Amino acid sequence: MAALRGEVSWFCCGSAWGPCGTAGGGACGTCSSGNYQHAWPNTSDACLAITRPDRCGVTGMARRGCGFRHYTTNLCNGARVGTTIADCGPQTDLFCGERTCCGSACGSNRIIDLTPAAYSAIASLSAGLRPCSVDTV
Amino acid sequence: MNQTLDRRRLLATAALGGVVGATGLGSLAPEAAFAAEPATIDSGAPDPNFAEGRISKISGSMLLVTGSDTVLHSIRITDGTSIWKLHPTTFDKVAIGDGLYARGVRLPDGTLAADSVWLNIVNLHGHIAAVGRNVLHLDHQGRRIVAHVVPDRSAAVYNGTPAVSDLSLLRVGRHVQVLGAWHPDTNEVDIATVYAAA
Repeated sequence: MAALRGEVSWFCCGSAWGPCGTAGGGACGTCSSGNYQHAWPNTSDACLAITRPDRCGVTGMARRGCGFRHYTTNLCNGARVGTTIADCGPQTDLFCGERTCCGSACGSNRIIDLTPAAYSAIASLSAGLRPCSVDTV
Repeated sequence: MNQTLDRRRLLATAALGGVVGATGLGSLAPEAAFAAEPATIDSGAPDPNFAEGRISKISGSMLLVTGSDTVLHSIRITDGTSIWKLHPTTFDKVAIGDGLYARGVRLPDGTLAADSVWLNIVNLHGHIAAVGRNVLHLDHQGRRIVAHVVPDRSAAVYNGTPAVSDLSLLRVGRHVQVLGAWHPDTNEVDIATVYAAA
């Protein structure tokens, strides 16, 4: 898979406090906020029917199953983290055309959500959205 | 990288010394700090340098935290720790019952010397069910969440445009992402940033 460029955010899952308390273990049943995991929009036909990145013109988003490893790079600082698929998401089509930049480094459309542990390894959780690239090596 | 190593060493030294002392280095800008820290944890695995849970006790500069999975964490706050609670804040704003995510350096005794602590931070997706005076009512996973607009703090990002303080363009039915701070006593949230779809 060629590197895919877009936006990354974070989500909570597994045992959690507050509004996240009902998040559960995600589509794969293994998701935990403290693990290096992520949600991917194309884990199954059912998942893709919800997330619909194609509606935003996002191509090259390969079908990947639970446990598949991706590497996400924060384009604001070059920090990179490897994570495995634990859930379906983000719902790309709800934010079609959205664009996030750090200076001249930009990403359009939401392509991946990281757990808090993973996201906080490459960005501050208080920065809820970052431009990113995602690859498999 | 050297700066980060120095910073981590200082954090650990401060933590091991059991004091909240001046590091002489100060807090790094968050983006720079994360850039310099290599992520070497195995994909899919828990990160030993990360903790989450709710604060059950505050003892000096130490937070005793009960993880949502019931694991107990001891988290040391130093002068180098950046603390967020709706906005960057100070140690005196930390309260028992707060939820948190923390990242830092795990010391040999199991204590986490915190580099960053995010108190009560939430990142919710939902649809706007109703709009009131300085408040949004969100449908979030089948539940209603009350999200408060905080004057001089809350901002809106409309489909990727720069953040603005004007939230008047938010409409019932729109899908939004709300980054904010949860109130443990009421289960409501204060809005830091609301990201609105087109």
